[in-house]
Amino acid sequence: MDPIRRSLLGQLARLSAGAALVPLSSVANAGINQQPPRREGDPTKRYGMLIDLRQCIGCQACTVSCHIENAAPLGSFRTTVAQYEVEHQETGEVATFMLPRLCNHCENPPCVPVCPVEATFQRQDGIVVVDSDRCVGCAYCVNACPYDARFINERTQTADKCTFCAHRLEAGLLPACVESCVGGARIIGDMRDPESQISRMIAEHGDALMVLQPEKNTMPQVFYLGMDERFVTRPQAEPVALDVLDPHGKEMGYEFHH
Amino acid sequence: MNSTIELLAPRYDIAWYPWAVQYFFMIALSYATLWLAAPALVFGKQKWLPTARLALLACLATTLVAPVALLADLHQPLRFWHFYAYANSHSWMSVGSLILPLYVVGVIVLAWLAWRPALQANRQAPGIAGFIARWLSLGDSPTPRALLVLVGLCTLALSTGIMLYTGAEVAIVKARPLWNTVWLPPMFVATGFIAAAGLILVLNPVTGERSTVVSGQMLKVMLGACLVAGLVAGSWFLDGINADVGSVAAAMQSVRGSAEWRSTALWGGLTGLALFGAVLYLLSRPAPRRPALYAWTWVLGLVALHVGWMFRWVVLMDVQTVARHSAGFHHYGIPAGSSGILGIVGTFGLWLAAILLIDLFVPWRQARQGGSAADLSPVTPAPAHPAAQSAAENSEGTPSHG
Ligand code: SF4
Ligand code: SF4
Ligand code: SF4
Repeated sequence: MDPIRRSLLGQLARLSAGAALVPLSSVANAGINQQPPRREGDPTKRYGMLIDLRQCIGCQACTVSCHIENAAPLGSFRTTVAQYEVEHQETGEVATFMLPRLCNHCENPPCVPVCPVEATFQRQDGIVVVDSDRCVGCAYCVNACPYDARFINERTQTADKCTFCAHRLEAGLLPACVESCVGGARIIGDMRDPESQISRMIAEHGDALMVLQPEKNTMPQVFYLGMDERFVTRPQAEPVALDVLDPHGKEMGYEFHH
Repeated sequence: MNSTIELLAPRYDIAWYPWAVQYFFMIALSYATLWLAAPALVFGKQKWLPTARLALLACLATTLVAPVALLADLHQPLRFWHFYAYANSHSWMSVGSLILPLYVVGVIVLAWLAWRPALQANRQAPGIAGFIARWLSLGDSPTPRALLVLVGLCTLALSTGIMLYTGAEVAIVKARPLWNTVWLPPMFVATGFIAAAGLILVLNPVTGERSTVVSGQMLKVMLGACLVAGLVAGSWFLDGINADVGSVAAAMQSVRGSAEWRSTALWGGLTGLALFGAVLYLLSRPAPRRPALYAWTWVLGLVALHVGWMFRWVVLMDVQTVARHSAGFHHYGIPAGSSGILGIVGTFGLWLAAILLIDLFVPWRQARQGGSAADLSPVTPAPAHPAAQSAAENSEGTPSHG
């Protein structure tokens, strides 16, 4: 739209009763909806993950091992690897792009303040977890996460998500997805410890690292190395027709209509 | 630009079920009908009394059903007490869970106060109606007007809390750009008033009241609400193309990318315009022709209810099918069970049952701004005073020698 029409419409917008409501929105977003204090966990640590996309071959070993380790119901995933086929429009060259996705354990997680019973909370080590004994299953957090990182677990009827495998970290083990990664693409660690591998890699690659949907101001703590900018937000992609069936022949994936 | 195909993405189910639509619809009808009952009941405008009676009936019924739908949308409904054990002042939902019960109690007390004189007048009625009247009216002391006004004002204040929280709860969700706009809460309220006026237009003939005054007042309310809704929708759109407002951009994107969204947008716009046009036409007819025309306003009422419900369906259900981080749209088919069709039908059924029960046992047609049984004309053959007299006569007439 040309600038003249824009400013004309702008005047119109201002004329309409609107302006008065705008300050209200800051009340809705700020006053209420602030982050509640963090609790539990080790305050001397801050866990984060770095995913080296140059090493990812899209084998879905992480998807499967996470699924087994955390007993997610069929069809629900704490982590998946999205796969895209990218075609260069002039040369017709085809490349595949892999994007492992999981909870970003955001520094400003929108899923936390919305929880009406504080069942979702952020630990002092930065890990965002759900207390499934307290969760009322309102699914507000599922809607509030911009990354589709949460789901309602149909078995427990409560919110479920990646926990950075906190139970394994506490036992001195690596998360299932990290352990099973063929290429060693997933690096987890304490970002407060300057000697940890993740701290060293963050120092080394700095500006080359990207996070998903930075404009949402969630400050994700899963960093991607070797990322293509065009996949940082919802990619301009076309979904492919898929029909994934479970052992009983029930459809559990998508059927896209072209 | 290269062309990209997404090969693999899991199914992301919707997280809020049609129960949420039912709750948002019922609670909107509830607060809007409360405000339509207020001119007569709280502020003493006698001209609005027939409207207030219908509005109060609708208000109580929707207020009783709405929390049921809300509870049903929880995946762990039996844990609802966690809302109070672990209240979180950072969450609009939690704030709402504190306002809602107060509001429900406010509406119940208000309706009780408004119906009490009529209930008292019914105390001697035969059978179960009399029993319920005796039981519900709690004695025959007069109902102070001031008390009704006070309760009414408090409930109106609480209702603004409901308007604010239901709107804000959805509008703060940045993850869904289509929701994340200041214009959503006022639009909920405006469409709520459209639907509430529609509901009263339908109840008017259904209950046999057939009041032209009520129809006229509701048409005016609807005209106002349509204007506000149009203004809000217009401002949202102008705001969006003027500055980079995510909500409008996302809406355009959805409409561009999907035939279903295109037809939804078209349908919504056309229905709204048609409703507005019809209301304007009816209101501008010369007075003598109105009674005949107003007998048909229940049709407009149904359209208005449709607009109010559809808006909530599109906002709450359809928006959840817009993918957030993957390509395309998620398919959502309404399941047949209690989380889908059964839930929708069930809520309406419950609401109908509530209306019928009230209609059966409560003389809601006599709702008034406080006072005592003696202030209103008797509804039953055995009103309070003569009955008391005859009882006295009986006791005199049945002495030991009888
Ligand atoms: S990625 Fe989603 S679920 Fe994880 S912390 Fe961020 S907002 Fe919450
Ligand atoms: S689903 Fe559970 S964890 Fe999520 S917001 Fe609701 S109560 Fe909190
Ligand atoms: S850290 Fe654990 S829960 Fe999270 S994606 Fe990896 S395996 Fe799954």
